Amino acid sequence: LEWNVSVWGKRRAFTEHIEKLAELVSEKTGGDFTMNVSYEGLSKNTENLDGIQIGAFEMAQICAGYHEDKNPTLTVLELPFLGVRNLEEEVAVSDALYAHPAVKKDLERWNAMLLMSSPMPQYNLVGTGEPRDTLEEFSGMRVRATGGMGEAFKAVGAVPTSVPSNEAYNAMESHVVDTVAFAQHAHLSFRTIDQGTWWTENLNPGTVNCPVVVNIDAYNSLTPEQKEALDSSVPEAIQYYIDNYQSEVLTQWDKILTEKNVTKVQYSDEEIAKFEAATQGVADEWIKARSAEGIPAQELYDLVKAKLKELHGM
Amino acid sequence: MSSVDIGLWVTGGLFVLVVLGMRVAFAAGMAGVVGLIWIFWDKKQYAWDQFGWALGVAVKTAGQVPHSKIASQELSLIPVFILIGYMAYYAGLTTALFDAAKKWLGWLPGGMAISTVFATAGFSAVSGASVATSAVFARIAIPEMLQVGYDKRFAAGVVAAAGTLASLIPPSAILVIYAIIVEQDVGKLLLAGFIPGMFSAVVYAGLIVGLALTIPSFGPAVGGFTWGERMRAILPALPIVLVVLIIISFIYNPFGDPLGTPTEGGALGAALIFVLALAKGMKWSELKDALLETAKLATMIFTIIWGVLIYVRFLGFANLPRAFSDWINGMEHSPMLTLVLILLAYAVLGCFMDAIGMLLLTLPVVYPAVMELNGGELVSAADSAFGMSGPMCAIWFGILVVKMAEFCLITPPIGLNCFVVAGVRPELSVQDVFRGVTPFFIADALTIAGLVAFPGIVLWLPSLA
Amino acid sequence: MAGSSAVLSDDSALSRIDRGIYRIEKVFGVIAGTTVLILMLLAVVSVGGRNLFNAPLPGYVDWIQVLMPLIAFLGISYAQRDGGHIRMDILIGRLQGRALWTAEFVTTLVTLGLILLLVWGSWAHFGRSFDWNARYFSRDSTIDIALPLWPAKLLVPVSFGIMALRLVLQLWGYAVAIASGSTTPVAVPLVKSAAEQAAEEAEHVSSLDR
Ligand code: NA
Ligand code: NA
Repeated sequence: LEWNVSVWGKRRAFTEHIEKLAELVSEKTGGDFTMNVSYEGLSKNTENLDGIQIGAFEMAQICAGYHEDKNPTLTVLELPFLGVRNLEEEVAVSDALYAHPAVKKDLERWNAMLLMSSPMPQYNLVGTGEPRDTLEEFSGMRVRATGGMGEAFKAVGAVPTSVPSNEAYNAMESHVVDTVAFAQHAHLSFRTIDQGTWWTENLNPGTVNCPVVVNIDAYNSLTPEQKEALDSSVPEAIQYYIDNYQSEVLTQWDKILTEKNVTKVQYSDEEIAKFEAATQGVADEWIKARSAEGIPAQELYDLVKAKLKELHGM
Repeated sequence: MSSVDIGLWVTGGLFVLVVLGMRVAFAAGMAGVVGLIWIFWDKKQYAWDQFGWALGVAVKTAGQVPHSKIASQELSLIPVFILIGYMAYYAGLTTALFDAAKKWLGWLPGGMAISTVFATAGFSAVSGASVATSAVFARIAIPEMLQVGYDKRFAAGVVAAAGTLASLIPPSAILVIYAIIVEQDVGKLLLAGFIPGMFSAVVYAGLIVGLALTIPSFGPAVGGFTWGERMRAILPALPIVLVVLIIISFIYNPFGDPLGTPTEGGALGAALIFVLALAKGMKWSELKDALLETAKLATMIFTIIWGVLIYVRFLGFANLPRAFSDWINGMEHSPMLTLVLILLAYAVLGCFMDAIGMLLLTLPVVYPAVMELNGGELVSAADSAFGMSGPMCAIWFGILVVKMAEFCLITPPIGLNCFVVAGVRPELSVQDVFRGVTPFFIADALTIAGLVAFPGIVLWLPSLA
Repeated sequence: MAGSSAVLSDDSALSRIDRGIYRIEKVFGVIAGTTVLILMLLAVVSVGGRNLFNAPLPGYVDWIQVLMPLIAFLGISYAQRDGGHIRMDILIGRLQGRALWTAEFVTTLVTLGLILLLVWGSWAHFGRSFDWNARYFSRDSTIDIALPLWPAKLLVPVSFGIMALRLVLQLWGYAVAIASGSTTPVAVPLVKSAAEQAAEEAEHVSSLDR
């Protein structure tokens, strides 16, 4: 049995858990169950859910924020200032959300079930020009940020400006945008760090949620051994991903910041509290709009908050 | 059957359909759909009760492609580049350019022909398509050359050859298409075409000087213009310079950061020329014609793009590009010899196919192989076979294949530019044009050899940006 | 290679329907062309807004994504009517009479098959982005300003539907030509030698000339 797996871009830290999963599953089944991970060959990144529903491939990686109407329940994790502190917390809170019946139902419309998350650190800005180290200076700033994060920056007077991620470098160079919000691996692979002179070290406004999904029929038609091999490999694959992200990306990140002499901008607790307060409306608006569509939005939001509280309490 | 075998059979079928005269876009789309059905049905071991499932999955997978691939910002450059060319004509810029070139360069040996080459190069800076450029200059430049006593075959050859400059000198629809297929930076590719385009023009001019000096009956120089006349001739052509400056400064600004994206630069240039055309009194009926022609050409290009991309989606499932790449890279030749063989294959194929169709059909398979030949997409210049990094190799190869495709526009049996020139001028037969254009084969062969031997000609500008 | 071809007409029902549909197709062509003009103005507004007023056009890229299908699909049947889609006619250009019309009939039939399959496939694509119960009926939207994508996706099966109609009409035309053996059938694009095509291109340029 061979599964086709649709991902995009090039092989990078962001896809390492999928590569690891393929390796583990093949190992555990003695080569009886393999995965062909295809980068961009099978679908466009915004249409992986369509491909899953059609049945064109069995597994895919998606990003909720690329198509919020396709997966409204997942976008709760893209709201600003949820307070996620690291990759482990991102995994835990994702898993808690993915288990909620309303979320499962949301994905079932695509004949998809959530297999695992692709935890990403908080997005932070890489910027050109003088460092903007207070909230006031965000006013009029052209920022490349999508979804809930875009809304958050809008709330403090910035202007979200859409450019595709692969054009972010040019957009910065040509001042189409002043700043770009990405996770570190994306700042590296889309080379925005080559353009920027400063980086917001502790702004942590939020992140993007990018789960790996499988086609339900394909999953159900696995033999018990294959199913066991797949399910049991997930935690290991995730752990591999996290270790790799920490040791490869974050180390390289620190090295590059030093090499390029990029200013690390630290915001005071006060400034961050102000930012957080200004964006409270974004979550409220999300809850209101999504509730109107019959989604238990408040419940999902509370679930996420409660889970984080539990994590922080430990 | 292995998926690669399916890939080869379907690819063979596609070429049969194309040779039978099916429209390339639909032949490719059909090959893609059939291939997808085959792949999915193969997965179910050809069980009859699974055929319906395979059909449904294949059709829905193919049905995504047209919308999802066309709704892109990068592709929006193509219609805008086409529109600019039409508007420039209505704005009277073509005649102004030729007039200025004549007054400045006419005194050289073969001066009128050289003027034609450089006026065409200038017009290329606002025109995105070769054939349209040749058609326009056949009307403007050939009568004037004949009037002063040029050989008619040679006059026609100059125009047919010079028209090919439009696809190298930015803006260029075909370079945008290349950039999109291979997923490279559109701006850098456009920038990379500039010097090779001018290099081509200079090689053409050198050839003309050589011919004019050796053949006595070639055609006289045209001199006697005063400096005042020369200065005054520049004025009407100035808008072209302005548009060129706008487009270039949105791609690459030597004095600082570029001012925006290539899309915006192209659109701004088009808007400027549009205003100029309106000021020159363009009528609604003329505007409507220009819009219809733009729509028709754009639709044609987009249809080929999505049709071929359905086939490419199938190739993704069949894994054919990887197999081809392994085959090419398993050859015993040196990478450089392999590259030259690939370019020669393009020269042969180009004799029978349209440039855009040819690139779209072949690149998805050939491009990864060439990148692998150089050492992979991420290779550094030091570790590579051709002495350049992965992204630079992508740019270099792009300019080479586009120049190759353009070369094919002037070669028999179906060199489109030659037919167009013969069509525009009643006194010329197609044979005349092919005869007249023959010396330019040599010029183009020299140019291509130069670009292969000295990649710096291509890569210097984009390496600055 | 490419180029448009002449389509003859007479007072038969076939030809009248041909011209009737052609009028609609032409209107679609003008809409597509006008969209190019709008695209151009949009960029001017975007650049101007950003550089002069520090007010970039919100969702500039989203708008382009929504407009592009108008340019790419509306004119597909207009181009087909005039034989404008690129093909290689080195072989078919040598055929004449019934052999030629039969070859044309076959490739047109295969094209119709493809287009009908794609009507199905692109309709399904639209269907996945449309939801009666959702806000703006949208189950898929653009990234930045959340424009619903279903109208642009719907345009594809609609354009392909008209294209299918056009192909049926051409099949009819070729069938009539095969039956009569005529060298001048109506309502179908006639194959022309490259020289004839060029002559037409030349004529177009001449009409541009002033
Ligand atoms: Na050009
Ligand atoms: Na040719």
